[in-house]
Amino acid sequence: MNRKLRIVVLLSCGVVMAAGLAVAAGGGDYQPAALGQLPQAAPAELTPDGNYGGGAYPLYPPELAAGEGKVEVEGYCSVCHSTRYITMQPPLPAGAWDATVHKMQKAYGATIPDAAAAKIISYLHTHYTPETRKQ
Amino acid sequence: MSSNGRELSRRGLLKLLGAAGGGLALAGMAEGVGAPAQEAASGAAVKSFTGPGANPYWNSVGPYVNEAQKAPLILLTDRPVQLETPRHYFRTAFTPNEAFYVRWHLDGIPNSVDLNSWKLNIEGNVEKPLSFSLPELMEKFKAVSVAAVNQCSGNSRSRFQPRVPGGQWGNGAMGNAMWTGVRLRELLDAAKVKAGSVQVQVQGLETGSGPKGFGSNRFLKSLEITNPALDEAVVAYSMNGEPLPVLNGFPVRLVVPGYFATYWMKCLTWIRVLDKADENFWVKTAYRVPDTPRGNTTPAEMQAGTVKTVPIGRLAVRSFLISPDGGTKIPAGMGVMLRGIAFSGQGRVVKVEVSEDDGKNWTAAKVGEDYGPYSFRTWEALWTPKKTGRYSVAVRATDEKGNTQPDEGVWNPGGYLWNRIERQEMVVGSAG
Repeated sequence: MNRKLRIVVLLSCGVVMAAGLAVAAGGGDYQPAALGQLPQAAPAELTPDGNYGGGAYPLYPPELAAGEGKVEVEGYCSVCHSTRYITMQPPLPAGAWDATVHKMQKAYGATIPDAAAAKIISYLHTHYTPETRKQ
Repeated sequence: MSSNGRELSRRGLLKLLGAAGGGLALAGMAEGVGAPAQEAASGAAVKSFTGPGANPYWNSVGPYVNEAQKAPLILLTDRPVQLETPRHYFRTAFTPNEAFYVRWHLDGIPNSVDLNSWKLNIEGNVEKPLSFSLPELMEKFKAVSVAAVNQCSGNSRSRFQPRVPGGQWGNGAMGNAMWTGVRLRELLDAAKVKAGSVQVQVQGLETGSGPKGFGSNRFLKSLEITNPALDEAVVAYSMNGEPLPVLNGFPVRLVVPGYFATYWMKCLTWIRVLDKADENFWVKTAYRVPDTPRGNTTPAEMQAGTVKTVPIGRLAVRSFLISPDGGTKIPAGMGVMLRGIAFSGQGRVVKVEVSEDDGKNWTAAKVGEDYGPYSFRTWEALWTPKKTGRYSVAVRATDEKGNTQPDEGVWNPGGYLWNRIERQEMVVGSAG
């Protein structure tokens, strides 16, 4: 700290201390950041060719509930989309999960064997309905 | 010393003052150092999901993430990519490209596009199939610009009661840009559409892992060839005066002013004239709404199977309060400027009103510059709350066709067309 600033600080401290009797304390409470931090992306290196784009898309695997059927969910659902499609949903009634899995099979042509589909449905009922969802 | 260095010295000074026990100047000066109140409210993370009740927040609740060519946005899904624009980016009439929301249907998104080989193809039921490189599009056809709102059909889906499956968007699946490109009609005229054509189908570069012939394999959308929206449609190569981010559809994107974003094909590569109606999943089954006022129905009516549906079309009138966002307490007696945006796909917004009493009494806000009927229009209103307490501040817009936002929600199984009056709780504190 330079000398000029030091003088300003000392003078200010005196003023503040005098005034401090009449106002609330400063607090100055600091805590470790509970929300973490998001690093800045480094600038991309560009070349003057005909190719335009930003490279690979980052994956952010969700924390799926542990339990029977998780392996089938990760295997079959992830063929077309990330399992964030599950964790993003609000807690859905059991019937809505049945309909969603059947929609994947019939409307979208997902080749999920019936035994695996039953396990996936049971897993979704066990962890992602209004009665059961915890995370 | 750099300005940054001076800033640090000033902060060091503040710290010393704080340590000395005097908070005299701190409250005011600490501002501008931290993040906006909305993000820094309490230091605790928002719960990772909402429901079964309605999402109470303005945005959805996912984490912020970094994606190529983008500012940190709110994650809905990572594969395919769906990202929501945070509320504070809507303070202006035009949404920055790097903050513009992202919604893809299938996971085979191009990571890059090679302009040495890319061409836009006009094919199908035409006399003369054509292909154009990007320079050809820019040189051979007149450039036109239109300010238009791109809003996802499912924007605000997380408001639905009961909740419906799908992308759980808050209000940030929308954006407004100045789009510049070529008129779709000019391209169709150049290729000479044959008599008996019924629809125009558009296809981009996205592909999916599902079996051929299913919606999980290709994303295709079609509009009736007689639809007047096609006369206003633009094949855009510029967004807010810059190239489009790949996640928003580089090199060209179809812009259909006034229509929901499902028709605004990204990485548009095939324009196909059809001689019979498109039967593909994304037209026949998906993106359909009940053929009722506001697309409203009930779960019971859906169960009964009596609801006739039609393809989703134009945007309903909407308005939003952007700032203040409710994250900062307002001292009683202080005038604050309420600011936000409004839009409609039916005609330009001509009136915005605000209410401090949950929608009982309304006063007119001042509307901002008119960038055309399909653009966001900003609004502002000075509000001076006299009494302490909790206020429910509401905002509603009216368009030139006389459509005003209703105060009832809407329900349909797709989670589409939400346009209820928005509210923001504001806390007004005692000022001594």
